[in-house]
Amino acid sequence: MTRCPKPEMWVRYAAGELADRPRRALATHLESCDACRREVRDLARGLKAMESLAREPALRPEMLDTLHRRLRVAAANRPTRPRVVTLVARYGWAAAAAAVLVAALVLNFPKPTPTIVLPDNHQAESLQEVAVAIELLRVADNGTTPLPPQNLFPGGRANELNLFLELDDAGLLLDYLLSQDRLQG
Amino acid sequence: MALRDKDSDAQEQRLAAYAPRVYGLLVRMVGNRDTAEDLTQETLLRAFRAFETYRPEGKFRAWIFRIARNAARDWLRRRPLEPALGLDADWLERAPASPRRQSRPEDRLLGGERASKVEAALQRLPAPDREVLLLRYYGELAFNDIAKVTGEPLGPVLARAHRALKKMAELVPEEKS
Repeated sequence: MTRCPKPEMWVRYAAGELADRPRRALATHLESCDACRREVRDLARGLKAMESLAREPALRPEMLDTLHRRLRVAAANRPTRPRVVTLVARYGWAAAAAAVLVAALVLNFPKPTPTIVLPDNHQAESLQEVAVAIELLRVADNGTTPLPPQNLFPGGRANELNLFLELDDAGLLLDYLLSQDRLQG
Repeated sequence: MALRDKDSDAQEQRLAAYAPRVYGLLVRMVGNRDTAEDLTQETLLRAFRAFETYRPEGKFRAWIFRIARNAARDWLRRRPLEPALGLDADWLERAPASPRRQSRPEDRLLGGERASKVEAALQRLPAPDREVLLLRYYGELAFNDIAKVTGEPLGPVLARAHRALKKMAELVPEEKS
């Protein structure tokens, strides 16, 4: 029998949060380990117990009316901002990247410095977003493909993509990401 | 009267849809229904006002629940002696209803022997452990997202979840099939 995984790992297993490969590895361990089977059964019971609570408790209509009224007042008091300002605030890093590209094209820099700066803690929501970021970086750096920071990858994907990072082949990585997104529909 | 734009309407609808779940979290964090209603409104108003600054770099749901959790924590810090904090097992059944909330529909929804046992078990968990379970259940957040909401590393969040789930399994009898 293999050594038992940490209890915390079973939390993710019971909650269905593991990727296919580690999940299968843990399932194999469970087949031969009574203690871990008990552990998983308890955790699953704990999760199941929560299901007894109404996930969307009905709210008093008066409370909802008040909420809508207050939201409308807040909307009426909102300072109006030009739409472009709103978009820049929301997609600041993408706007900055676009600005660098335009500047590079207009001024015909011989070799633009890779000045696309993503916030340190920025993490993409989808592989598509990562792919776009890579494309922007590649274009900005005249096709020499600096790779994006690993923290950009959605949770857990960085490990999965290490092979591509080691290969230092952003083109291959880009194709892979796009194919993954297509697979995920 | 000021004209309302489509964005505001859409944002209002989107946020209002979260009200029941946010309330579900808050009522169990603060242990008081009136306060939970007020904090639910406060949370969604804060989110509405901050909508322009929301950056789509994380889950929207996690963003809302982070605001809710912070609102509850602020309230708990300001009101450390609120009687509801020490409520015992069946607080949802026995807590006195204020005049503004006689015979609330969710009281009936939350009724039932098993649900009462779950409420009682939840109230016996340490607050930070309970918080993890509530964020997972009402926010439907993955543990990674919960770690971002609480500002803790993933390891301690999983350890809390582990402790809390084991305790729930111990305190709530298995459902008869």
